[in-house]
Amino acid sequence: MDYRNAFAISATGMNVEKMRLDTTAANLANVHSTRGADGKLYQPLSVKVVEAGASFATGFEQQVQGAGRLRGARVAAVEPTSVAPHKMYEPGNPDADEKGYVTLPGINQVTEMVNLSTALRAYEANVVAMNAAKSMALKALELGGGQ
Amino acid sequence: MSISTDSITVSMARLALDAASMRHQAIANNIANANTAGYAPVRVDFESQMDAVRAALQQGGTVTPSMLQGVAPVLRRDVPPAAAGQGAALDMEIASLAQNTVQYQALLKALSKHMSILSAAVAEGKR
Repeated sequence: MDYRNAFAISATGMNVEKMRLDTTAANLANVHSTRGADGKLYQPLSVKVVEAGASFATGFEQQVQGAGRLRGARVAAVEPTSVAPHKMYEPGNPDADEKGYVTLPGINQVTEMVNLSTALRAYEANVVAMNAAKSMALKALELGGGQ
Repeated sequence: MSISTDSITVSMARLALDAASMRHQAIANNIANANTAGYAPVRVDFESQMDAVRAALQQGGTVTPSMLQGVAPVLRRDVPPAAAGQGAALDMEIASLAQNTVQYQALLKALSKHMSILSAAVAEGKR
């Protein structure tokens, strides 16, 4: 069994959680953006995560490795969500309409904060798994050493 | 997987270490997919294949290499996906991770004790 695969799996998990964290940060940073870079209103983003590589290999790979190979998770897409924007009365704003209302992206700060903390905890769990793999591998290296 | 030249202890320890290593990867995969919608957790099936060995030991018999023929850890999917709706339960996975790590280290300890017995025999009991 290849212990390097364990590190690779945990790394994919950390990668996914970091992407979720980045997306949440981008959403929170744009809470008060009235205009995006392309002139349109900012759309809140969400990350779509899928399991990486259908792992239950058949045939040849199964014979070579004796079992399916696990590959962790991967980010399938970062998609804009279709949350309705909301309006705020702010007549002094240059982007205000004729009635004095400004259109803001429909970002729910509570949802974003919940996403933030679940991503953080999941990231930490991946780190724990990686450290466990490390201690197992190091312990195995001691085999046959001073008894 | 040549079992004939190894002692039965080493063969069993090797199989169990393989199983623990594979189980670690399964748990790591479950943790990596903690936030994947519709993910079915992966499990490792090994202990249930050792029924013949366990039965022999309980009746005071010995374990023979033929009992270990065809025994190998296998990956399995939980179907249907966890009832909670999404992914695997992070806390349960961390708990089994800790247990699996301790078991792996215990197996290594057992293997290294077995080897130290062998080396005592080789040294004719001298230190």
